Amino acid sequence: MIDLRASDLPLLVLYALAFALLHWTASPWSGAGFFSLWYPPAGLRFAVLWSRGARFAPWLVLAELAADFSAGVIDIGAPGLLQAVIGAMRPGLTYGLALAGTRGIARGKDDTFSLPPMMMGLAAVAAPALNALLVAPIDALLPADAGRYRIGVDIAISLTGLAVGDLLGILVLAPPLLWIAALTGGPRQALPRPPSRRAVLEDALVLSGCLLLTIALWRAGLGAQPAPGLLAGAWIGLRHGRIAAWLAIVAQVLAFLPYSSGRLDDATRLELHLGIAAVVLVTWLAGSFSDAQKTARIMLERRNRLLFQAERLKTLRAMSVAVIHEISQPLSTLAIEAGHLARATEHLDADIAESAALVDRKARDLSDLVRRLRRFGGRDVDEPSLLPVSMLLQTACQIVAAELRASGGRIDCLGIAPDLAVQAQEIELTQALVNLLRNAVAASPGETIALRAGAVADEVRIEVTNPLVTARKTDAQPLGAGMGIGLVIARTIVEAHGGTLVRQDDVDTARFVLSLPLVAGPLP
Amino acid sequence: MTDPAASPAASPVAPLVAVLDDDADLGASVARLLARNRMDARAFTDPRALLAILPDCAFGCVISDIQMGEMDGFAFADALRARDPAVSLVFMTAWPTTAHAVDAVRRHGGIDYLEKPIDEPRLIAAVAEGLGWSARERRIAAMTAAFTRRERDVFDLLVRGHSNKEIAERLAISARTVEDHRAAIVTKTRTNGLAQLIALSRGEAV
Repeated sequence: MIDLRASDLPLLVLYALAFALLHWTASPWSGAGFFSLWYPPAGLRFAVLWSRGARFAPWLVLAELAADFSAGVIDIGAPGLLQAVIGAMRPGLTYGLALAGTRGIARGKDDTFSLPPMMMGLAAVAAPALNALLVAPIDALLPADAGRYRIGVDIAISLTGLAVGDLLGILVLAPPLLWIAALTGGPRQALPRPPSRRAVLEDALVLSGCLLLTIALWRAGLGAQPAPGLLAGAWIGLRHGRIAAWLAIVAQVLAFLPYSSGRLDDATRLELHLGIAAVVLVTWLAGSFSDAQKTARIMLERRNRLLFQAERLKTLRAMSVAVIHEISQPLSTLAIEAGHLARATEHLDADIAESAALVDRKARDLSDLVRRLRRFGGRDVDEPSLLPVSMLLQTACQIVAAELRASGGRIDCLGIAPDLAVQAQEIELTQALVNLLRNAVAASPGETIALRAGAVADEVRIEVTNPLVTARKTDAQPLGAGMGIGLVIARTIVEAHGGTLVRQDDVDTARFVLSLPLVAGPLP
Repeated sequence: MTDPAASPAASPVAPLVAVLDDDADLGASVARLLARNRMDARAFTDPRALLAILPDCAFGCVISDIQMGEMDGFAFADALRARDPAVSLVFMTAWPTTAHAVDAVRRHGGIDYLEKPIDEPRLIAAVAEGLGWSARERRIAAMTAAFTRRERDVFDLLVRGHSNKEIAERLAISARTVEDHRAAIVTKTRTNGLAQLIALSRGEAV
């Protein structure tokens, strides 16, 4: 459970009001054993939990209870109050669990299913399913009064109705709410490009064709068959992604909901909504999969570009090594002869002696430069060695100094104990630190970035902290958002060194903590 | 390249340093640097030319580049050692690597492994050390060359501090024979007593 901030209170009040209103609008689709086959409050709940994080669930549950009591949905004086309260709390808590579980499963995986579009699709299915599945176990734990789900109606029907209502509510309502939140929440989200006329025409043709087919089959006495809708939904979702999928879902739901709110018996209504749920589900998953594929393709292209850059750097390195070699050969001769000339002319005319001494000094400087260059660029293998942490931090700061100057910021790096050392590959670990510093500079331009290091138990902890300037706290954003490739590389390097890289934000600062095994003993 | 045939005959007494580098200017420069430090040095650009004049010319130290044309510095070192085990080697390179540095000293018995541009004092020190080592090796080789096989056995045990009696027991000969061998050893080495023999076995001048 996260701490509640003052700024969250209006959101919770608004949520409670919207929840009560949407709850009321769902009543025409109710039936025996289930509240409604079309339950938009579930979409509202899902959207808020997805954007604020699963740990926000307890606050939502409280808001929902408040709404239920105020609207008279739960009567304080009625018998079975405990069942009613638990029943009202269950959906919010199970949704939180489902969202946390989906994100937990996807964490650390690297495939299409772990990408944000697909994760949200899976969570949208998992949340109502878990909610329905946990009804019976939770009821079993309660005192055996006449619970809502225990009366004569077949429990399978009532749970199916519950899941179907929630699912429809989520898939119709949550996506637009989340899109609105993303567009208003920060400057980073770009508006989606308007679709091409051809795509719109194609989708409209497919959808209307399939709707006509559904109606034809119905007229022929075969009932409301979901197959044409499934076909249309899968086609549109796979072809054009989630936005097109959602529009198709809305179109299908608008076509059937007015009809199903009319005078239908429970069994017919449930059958119809099961069909709609199947269509909506397939359409949304198809759209999510298509978007996840698109995201994966973009990531792959970015990696390819990075690989190309790496190849170029490799070529450049080889060229610079060759240049160092070509220079060092004649420079050896020059340095020897310059030294000789300087010594031989010491006693000659002051002007000549000075010239010879100058040539000698410059040849020496150049020799030093070549040796230094060779030490940094000419190394083929970056072998692990004992490195003082203060030196690593200093080198990393020097590398980002130019970018820092350009952004007008500074790095505060003081008080690093000189005896801290780690066993590491110098070039790689410096790269990891540089990536973290670069991210911090990019996130907080013109600000002071704090770089700290210290020993904690048997670890060296290096902390890069930058103030959060414009972005709000982002823990509830979909995984992967804002994670640049630089951070991925830094994490890979640190983990290869037996360490960890974690993010530990405060309210107004972003902090990355890099921990590495501390090496005891004297420094080289 | 310095043509060995065209250059003046090397003095058979003074220890000679050879500088081998495919860059003729650098070779000549290093040779002149050594000459200024009172070391008689000649420059070569082709390893085969250097190997070819070896029978007539015993070098005390060879400074060799590692990356050369057909024959690299290490192959050259093997060929040189096969012809003359008592010559010392100093390596220099413009492409230093840790692996090469270790090989140069451990496998090829190099005195030092120098990075170009060359550190002059370090080069002079390495060559001086190499010349001293080579001189000792040559003295030991010259001395033991005159021994018979049995005299060599007796000499090896003597300088390790064994008594005549112990040597006789070990070699299964009489103490009298050991004394005869010992007299021959002293005569051949023109030494005076065990202390000088031990000094000789270490290559020290007596």
